[in-house]
This record gives sequence, C-alpha cells and structure tokens, in this order.
Amino acid sequence: MNSENNHNHHHDHGHDHKHDDAHSHLPSDPELRVKAIETLLLGKGLIDSKTLDELIDTYENKIGPQNGAKVVAKAWVDESYKKRLLEDATAAIRELSYQGRQGENMVVVENTPDIHNVVVCTLCSCYPWPVLGIPPTWYKSDEYRSRTVREPRKVLSEFGVNVDPKVKVKVWDSTAELRYLVLPMRPKGTEHLNENELAELVTRNSMIGTGLPENAK
Amino acid sequence: MSRLHDMGGRFGDGPIPIPRKKNNEIDNHEPTFKYDWHAKAWAITLAAGALGEWNLDISRHYRECLPPKDYMNYSYYEKWLAALTNLLVDKNLVSLEELKSVIDLVEKKGLNFEANKSEKLDKRTWLAKDVQKTLGWGGPSIREINVSPIYKINEKVVAVKYSPNEDVNGGHTRLPSYVMGREGIIYSYNGSHVFPDKNAHAKGENPLPLYTVEFKASELWGVSAEDNNDSIYLDLWEPYLRSKKT
Repeated sequence: MNSENNHNHHHDHGHDHKHDDAHSHLPSDPELRVKAIETLLLGKGLIDSKTLDELIDTYENKIGPQNGAKVVAKAWVDESYKKRLLEDATAAIRELSYQGRQGENMVVVENTPDIHNVVVCTLCSCYPWPVLGIPPTWYKSDEYRSRTVREPRKVLSEFGVNVDPKVKVKVWDSTAELRYLVLPMRPKGTEHLNENELAELVTRNSMIGTGLPENAK
Repeated sequence: MSRLHDMGGRFGDGPIPIPRKKNNEIDNHEPTFKYDWHAKAWAITLAAGALGEWNLDISRHYRECLPPKDYMNYSYYEKWLAALTNLLVDKNLVSLEELKSVIDLVEKKGLNFEANKSEKLDKRTWLAKDVQKTLGWGGPSIREINVSPIYKINEKVVAVKYSPNEDVNGGHTRLPSYVMGREGIIYSYNGSHVFPDKNAHAKGENPLPLYTVEFKASELWGVSAEDNNDSIYLDLWEPYLRSKKT
C-alpha cells in the first residue's frame, strides 16, 4: 500500500482537544478573555471597533421581536398576507423588509384551536434573527434544550402556558438552517384594534410558542 | 455516541431559567445582552467569521468540540470565545505566542487600558459601512441544483442508528441522537441545502435534499411520552434517513 492510499484510509479525527489547546491559556475572568481577544485582533487589524459597535447597536436597537410582532399583526388583519406567510414565509417576511442573517429560510407555523406550536434548538441556539433578534438566555439554556422535546407541556406550564389535553403540541427542533416563527392566535376582544395596536400585544415568547399574546387593555 | 451539545431528551435538567419581574410575571424584555462582555464576545465572533477563513458550520463544530468539562462549565458566550480562540490559532490568524503575550498584557493591565489598534486594517476585515448589507444578504444554505428527493411526503422513514458522519469520527452532524433508529413520516421537502456534515470539515458544500420529518412523541419516548398525540419535527438531510421496510 502506498502512502497516499494509506492517507486516504486514515480516519479523520476533526480537531478534538489537545493538552495545549489555545483556549486553555485564556484568563479565568471572562471579561479579561474578551479583552484579550479584542486587543489581539485590533492590534492585527483583523477587526474594526466601529464594526463591533454597529453590530451591537443593530441588534440592541433595530432588529428584535418588534419586527416579528409586525409580521404577526399583519397576518391577523390581512387574510391574503397570512396565506402568503404560511406558504412562503421568507418572501412574505421580506415584504416588510425583514430578511438576511439567520432568517434566510423562514417557516411560519400557525397556532389554531387544535394545535399549539413551540420552537427549540436542541443542538445549539438556532433562532430567527431578522424577526426576533438575538435569543434570550433561557432559550440557550441546557434546561430548555434538553426538556422541550421530551416534556413540552411541562416546559410550557413553567411559562404559564397550560395547553388543553385536547390540543396537539407540535415541537419544532431547528436542526438545519430553516428558522421557525410561531403565528399565535389573535386574542379575543381585539376586533376594534388596528394593526399597530395589535402588534403591541404580540410578545416575543408568543412567537416562540412559550407564551401567548397579551389581551387587549 | 455523541457529544454533550446533543442534549435533546436528556434527563436531569431543572426548571427553565425564566426571568421574572418583581411581581413574578414573566419578563419578555430582558436586555439583548446581559453584560457588555456578552455583546463584545458575540460581535467579535461575527466579525472574525466575516474574515472568510471558516464557515458557520466549522465554528459550530469548534464549539461542540470543546472538552466536555469546559463545555459544561462555560456559559454560552464563554463557549463562543473559547471556540473562537481555538479557530484563530488553528487557522493561523494569530499564533499561540501572540495569544499568550496578549493574555499576559491584559492580566497585568486589567480591563481599563486602551488597546493598540493597528494603523492599517487587513484587507479581509469587515468594515462598519458594510455591516447592514452583509446582514441583509445573510448566508442562505439552499442551493438550486437538479436533485430529485428520494422520499415522498407522508412516506414512512427511519433515522439511521449511528452518527451519520462517515468522514470524521465524532464529526459534525445535525441528526440528534434522540431520533436515531426511530420511525417518522416525511412532513415536507425543503429543497437541497448545504450538507453540514461535510461543510463543517471543509469538505465542500455537497448540497442534499432536506426534509422536515415528523416523529410521534410515543415513538421517541415510549410510555413516558406526555401525550401520544404530540409530535416532534426535525429538519433532516437525506443521508440521515432510510426507507421504512414494510
């Protein structure tokens, strides 16, 4: 067997840790760790601090669940928009100018009197950024990731959502690059509200499935 | 066997850490980033990724490959930072010596010193003026290729029994262990998408048909299922599935 064949038959081992893994040298205080990496990359011109500021400002102030709330409210008042949203969510969401990173392939799942949807990412923290922003800490927690697929009703009850036994629970584990948004049911007694007023009732958790929209005040 | 990140269905985790207001109502409005260092760790990871030296699947796999003790001890953004540090060194963007000397510096000086910025940015560096454009494009994983999916909607399938990554021991995959060997039904077909099992190891995009597969709670959890009528849906690539022989 020549060495090339030998190499081809060798099974890769990815990049599992060695004793001298770079990350093992980092300071114990996480703030100092960030400072070290930032200092290193700024010193080499590999990052621009203005870019970091722009990114943080974008997701703290411009992209967040207020976007998803507008999508939901529009679906509540406009039957043809709702139809487009359920058929091709990416295109319908783009109509409102929400698109791009971590929302390239959107799927909207509709709650009905018979179905309650809830979204999780058991492997990591996949989440539809253009409509919901950066995921909350609990969404990234081991507790939510491990339990939601096995005991969704119990998890939902911790969020104060008690699903009737007659209602089917559908759990969506975002294992690929599709990103899920729940279309919650429009609360009763909101017939008099316009689209903007309705959007105010749409909570972030109601679009993940771990909450319900607020009732009209 | 799998890795620690593959935790779907695991026993032992306690209540969901849901933030609450003083009146015990659920707080839907906690800050986007709890600490400044979370925001920085997140933004630096995105900016370093934009240098183009690795793809998103590679960076995910680096987080999954952290030693189990570290994976469990680190908080979310600590995992990001550790994986980024390993990537920067492995991909030769910084040397281990450079890393160690900067660590010495910050440990001596603490947080409150102004870092020396390079006068000249690297030509790969992501500029602030391009941020909105790049975010708006994103990085779609769907590929327009002429591949016919093998499985039909409503067809019964079985997920493979073992980690399907045949190239790399312990390699990246999106088939969680809690559905391995279990029977499901094809719910929808989503076109061909970049295959992470290859892409995470720089073995090309290799786009393949992606399905959404419905698994009955009773099929996954047996008698401990909360409700036999409930279902769990996963997005799975064709090589993760086999025909259900009837």
